[in-house]
Amino acid sequence: MTKDLEHKFISEFQKNQNIVHKVCRIYTNNQEAHNDLFQEITIQLWKAYPKFRGDSKLSTWMYRIGLNTAITLFRKSKRSIKTQDFESVLYKIESSDYDDTEEEQLKLMYKAIHQLSDIDKGIIFLYLEEKNYKEISATLGISEVNARVKMNRIKTRLKKILNP
Amino acid sequence: MDELELLKKDWKKKDGKFKELSYSEIYKIIHKKSSSIVKWIFIISIAEFVFWGIVNFFIPDSIYEVYDKFHLRNWLYISYVVHYIIVIWFIYKFYTNFKAIHIADSTKLLMKKIIKTRKTVNYYVYYVIIYNFILSIIFTIIMFSKSDIMLQILNPKNLDIDENKLFMYTLIIQIVVIFVMCGILWLYYRIIYGILLKKLNRNYNELERIE
Repeated sequence: MTKDLEHKFISEFQKNQNIVHKVCRIYTNNQEAHNDLFQEITIQLWKAYPKFRGDSKLSTWMYRIGLNTAITLFRKSKRSIKTQDFESVLYKIESSDYDDTEEEQLKLMYKAIHQLSDIDKGIIFLYLEEKNYKEISATLGISEVNARVKMNRIKTRLKKILNP
Repeated sequence: MDELELLKKDWKKKDGKFKELSYSEIYKIIHKKSSSIVKWIFIISIAEFVFWGIVNFFIPDSIYEVYDKFHLRNWLYISYVVHYIIVIWFIYKFYTNFKAIHIADSTKLLMKKIIKTRKTVNYYVYYVIIYNFILSIIFTIIMFSKSDIMLQILNPKNLDIDENKLFMYTLIIQIVVIFVMCGILWLYYRIIYGILLKKLNRNYNELERIE
């Protein structure tokens, strides 16, 4: 019974693991922290899985638990935080992929995102995942209006950083 | 806003570029232990119950003999009974609080529940400190108001010393010890739960502020 559930969970998780990676990407800035958070979210998902009724999509449920773990439950690892830019750790990007200004802008933007508060990171993450405000507000437990106001503030902030 | 669109595009582009974990790697992860805050609050509060239980168990009976001289032992036992009834109630509350925490709640609701759990822990802490404080103060007053018996205990061999001074010093030391002990208890809880919940409180405050 447990074995069946375990098998079902791992198979479904494997298909959707990108969601967890993306949460880790927003909330951490080095590979080690990324792996720690990934592990914690996976454990939380597995612990909550028996209660997953399927009344929402598995992916929606994963977004929620991923964000909750990052925002509320996860304690940053005690290991020293490397100042290395997460971009260079997680991706091997060939410089030819981008034109220089775009790359520079993106770098600045990712850096700015990493300076946001945990809640703001959650909002921009869901925005990047193309969730609507209804979904954002439901996930975080704030009103739709507040989610909009918050998102606008984040946009302004990012804009300011890029065009000082 | 062009920049944000650019970001969105880039975000999507990198979607599939993460290292895919295999079945066996995921299997290994879900058999590891979680290290969430909630788990630590729970472990620490249980450890506290156990710790005080053990401390009480190892207090030698001879300590209580002092209380016999003041006819206080029965009162002490009564206070213990009341104390344990209250402690059991707290254990029950801890249990129901932890049962109520579901990771699949909305972020704010989840935080609310964790903070409620913390509040129960806080009340427990206040209760323990106040209980110990009041009990010590009452017993000190009773014991020191019966100065003849007290002096007999302090100076059993009836040595030729200034009994007034001895009495005063003992009283002062007693009071200082009570305050220091309560202070240490308070500090301990501040540090333990303060560290554990710093981030959570900060995030919760932010959500509260935007409402």
